[in-house]
Amino acid sequence: MVEYDRKALKETIEPGSLKTCIVGVGGAGGNVLDRITLDRTVEAKLVTVHTDIRVLSHSMSPHKVQLGVELMRGIGAGGDPELGREAAVFSREQIREAVDGHDIVFICTGLGGGTGSGAAPVIAEIAKGTGALVFLTATMPFSFEGKRRLKQAEESLDQLQKRADALILFENNRMGELTLPKDGIQKAFTQADQLIAQSLRAVSTILSTPGLVKLGLDDLTAALNTSNGRCLFGFGEARGQNRGSEAVKRALKSPLIDQGRLLHQTKTLLVHIAGGESLTLLEVDAIMKLLGKNVPDQTHILFGVAVDAKLGDSVCVTLLSSLGLAQLNTVAAAAPPVDMLPVKDRPMPSIMDNLGAPAAHAPAPASAPSPTLIPATAAAPAPRASKSSLRAELAKSAPATEPMDLLFRSEEIAAPAAPTSITSAPLPLSVEEVSAPEFEPEPEPESFLEEEPQAEAEAVAEATFEEEPSPFADEIIIEQPMAAAHIPEPEPEPEPVQPVRPPRPRIEDFITQPAPRPAPLPTTSLAAVVGRAPAPAAEDAPYMPGSRLASKVSEDDEQIAFRFGSEEDRGRFQKTEPVLADGGEDLDVPTWMRLKRKLKR
Amino acid sequence: MAKSTIYAGLEIGTSKICVVVGEAKRDGTIKILGVGTAPSRGVRKGEIVDFQKVQTVLNDALVRAEEPSDVMIRTVFLGVTGGHIKSLNSRGAWRLQEDQGEITEDDVEEAKEIARNVEIPQDHVFLHSITRQYIVDGQEGVRQPIGREGRVLEADYHIIHGVRGRIQNAVKCVREVPLEVEDVVFTAIAAAQVVLNREAKAQGALMIDIGGGTADYVLYEDGMIAASGCVPLGGDHITQDIAMAVQIPDRRAEELKVTEGSCIFDDLSPEDIVRVEDDNGFMIAECERSFLNEVIHLRVREIFEQVKTRCEGHIGHLAAGIYLTGGTSLLKGIDVVAQDVFERKVTRAGSAPVSGVTATFEKPQFSAPIGLIRYAQILDQEKPFMSPLRKLGRKMADLLSVVP
Repeated sequence: MVEYDRKALKETIEPGSLKTCIVGVGGAGGNVLDRITLDRTVEAKLVTVHTDIRVLSHSMSPHKVQLGVELMRGIGAGGDPELGREAAVFSREQIREAVDGHDIVFICTGLGGGTGSGAAPVIAEIAKGTGALVFLTATMPFSFEGKRRLKQAEESLDQLQKRADALILFENNRMGELTLPKDGIQKAFTQADQLIAQSLRAVSTILSTPGLVKLGLDDLTAALNTSNGRCLFGFGEARGQNRGSEAVKRALKSPLIDQGRLLHQTKTLLVHIAGGESLTLLEVDAIMKLLGKNVPDQTHILFGVAVDAKLGDSVCVTLLSSLGLAQLNTVAAAAPPVDMLPVKDRPMPSIMDNLGAPAAHAPAPASAPSPTLIPATAAAPAPRASKSSLRAELAKSAPATEPMDLLFRSEEIAAPAAPTSITSAPLPLSVEEVSAPEFEPEPEPESFLEEEPQAEAEAVAEATFEEEPSPFADEIIIEQPMAAAHIPEPEPEPEPVQPVRPPRPRIEDFITQPAPRPAPLPTTSLAAVVGRAPAPAAEDAPYMPGSRLASKVSEDDEQIAFRFGSEEDRGRFQKTEPVLADGGEDLDVPTWMRLKRKLKR
Repeated sequence: MAKSTIYAGLEIGTSKICVVVGEAKRDGTIKILGVGTAPSRGVRKGEIVDFQKVQTVLNDALVRAEEPSDVMIRTVFLGVTGGHIKSLNSRGAWRLQEDQGEITEDDVEEAKEIARNVEIPQDHVFLHSITRQYIVDGQEGVRQPIGREGRVLEADYHIIHGVRGRIQNAVKCVREVPLEVEDVVFTAIAAAQVVLNREAKAQGALMIDIGGGTADYVLYEDGMIAASGCVPLGGDHITQDIAMAVQIPDRRAEELKVTEGSCIFDDLSPEDIVRVEDDNGFMIAECERSFLNEVIHLRVREIFEQVKTRCEGHIGHLAAGIYLTGGTSLLKGIDVVAQDVFERKVTRAGSAPVSGVTATFEKPQFSAPIGLIRYAQILDQEKPFMSPLRKLGRKMADLLSVVP
């Protein structure tokens, strides 16, 4: 008998035992850390890292590391990333000490300044060296901070992308302007800090709490599309009645999601629902239903549920996703928020969008990021798989740089391979995008098929009309040869409706137009001709003034009018919106006139 | 209540603009205080195309309604129609929380919200969302679900929607007069309130209000509204058909339609000739009566057939039959055609249950504007009475339930 191995079924890592460390680098990072410390929301080691001793002394976090004590002497980096980097390299031992022994290291920083932009890459590298997962949460500078800071931020970002496992990028512009356009700058910054703190907390909760439906790092990276996207993040918590829908509403209210509007464009969305023990399946169902209204059907929803006794009777909903920028972030970061929001019809040739696309279709999220590129990693266990594949991607974009190198020379950082490979990458991908639409026209044949029953219906209608005892019926028999003389033959399917009809009228048009004139004199109208022409043959009629004019009507006019009626046939309803029946008939044209034409056919 | 119960209804129709002032009494009856009409201009197929012309005529009608009723009209219930107005039925299911026994007001609100969340074209707005019924655990036809025991509550809604811009234009036009618009009502809904009684609604009835430019219809089934909409065909189309067939100006054709027109063309001798004279008494045209009638018949039949196709699937349930109203329903023989098309009992109806200067206004032309008064009355009755204390209590409860 084979002993059933129970141990093998156990998870190797106790979920609760994940050790997290949050490092705030520079002024912005420190602020976020202060916020986290005050809120006491995340169970993690909090480390503030700064060059400036005065700022550091005001920081509220329990652990502090001063960078480059001898080099900087407690003075800030003065907006020079080079100085910040030097200082970090100087104090690398202290940093390693602070970071060592953690499973996940979050680094939050504000890019663009000296310490943040300069030291963050170094810290990321050190953290990586200790074997932790490195998450980077960074803010891009406000546009009013100037081009130079922006450039510094981008350079730093380039380096960070190679070293972090996942990058959550926030746009200060958007956070500030969308949250509180009129409020004080301090409030705007506070708001931004709060958002970042929330996102950190959410991510760490997602990763660390045991889930009923677990979300892992792989899902996170899939949702974040790291290298070229800005983060969409929404968090809502509510308790009491309808707490589920309330939480969703709050999550959608997040400025980064723009009332849920930005979610319309995402390819992947991570949804995490956490609640106390009272969380019911119905609530989860309701939450997902509500969310479904804001998310297009084709979006890949990564869904997770966790029960956390700490939450008590409240429910938290976290939405996380990212949007690729229209251009590489180097260009787009400076753009005002309006440009940031990708317009639907504008193509977005971003690398990660395309890399993310196969992930959305991949059966197992474990092999998510681009199985096409590195099939070998697909078999690896889940978190490692995404990590190694991510690294493979990084290596691909910058083959010269081995991010684990601790020597950290500037030549390496500014590896010229990186930008060129990024710019060249979209080329083949854009070809893919161009070819993609070719699949789309498939449904069209269906619409052609649909027309047939309509035609049948018409035929039936005709048949019923013919059965009716009608004075017209007599005329028709006599009419046949005459009609043939008038109308050459309706050989090419009578011209489509559109050319005959004016463009869809709008109210404004009507207002400026003079009132529709009274019906045109019937003598010129086709109606008179078609209706009346055969009459004299059938009976002698003194009341047929129109019949004399029959020959005046040109043949091509008649052809256009053959089925649908010309503009003139519509009489006083010219220039109004046509009333169309199912078969495309224009109901504004007199019924008898249309009936007559049908019979003639 | 101290609140005035005098309402004014305004219908800007294709053929006439009509203002009705009515007093809605507490016992549910209506007394019509004054009616002002003026022949309409600047309206095509139920929609305003020329603001200025409409406003001029509207002022006339307003004065005519204000004089006898001795009421200064400031706000009106505006009836709107047009081919863009569509309807659909939608259901929203809401599952109650596990530990909850009775259905509460909040549950009803939630179910309503889900039901109302339906796809309508992007430029459309809701005109009405009418509760048809509630369904508690599959049990249909529940009118009042609050306080019942149940697990699943479904709200069944009839939603009428139309193009935002067009509805707004109508409102804008009236505001410029200036009049305040208290509510915008789809005319068919208004007309049905006075044309169909409770019994007819319960048995199943289709009301068709054929006006000058449009034929608006409402279909009731089991006392619930099941379908509604607007076919942008009406009396004007008949007139135009005649004008083009007999080759006379529109005005003469209109006259001919009203005085001589009929939908029945069988059994007419070929010798029966209709003559059309101009203002001076000269004959400008003549035609066989059977020919004239057939032209009318074809158009009327077509209008009914259009309505029929839009009510597909409901026609079989109409025990009370078809109710025709609106100006065009005065056409001779129109009931015969309706009978032929729908194969149901046909009733021609005006607005019956009103008092006041009624005798004059039992005509079918006034169903819709008088219906507007009735609609206003119903709206007022349905408004739940809530004491200020209770309101405050609810607000507090709301606040407490959403602690951040």
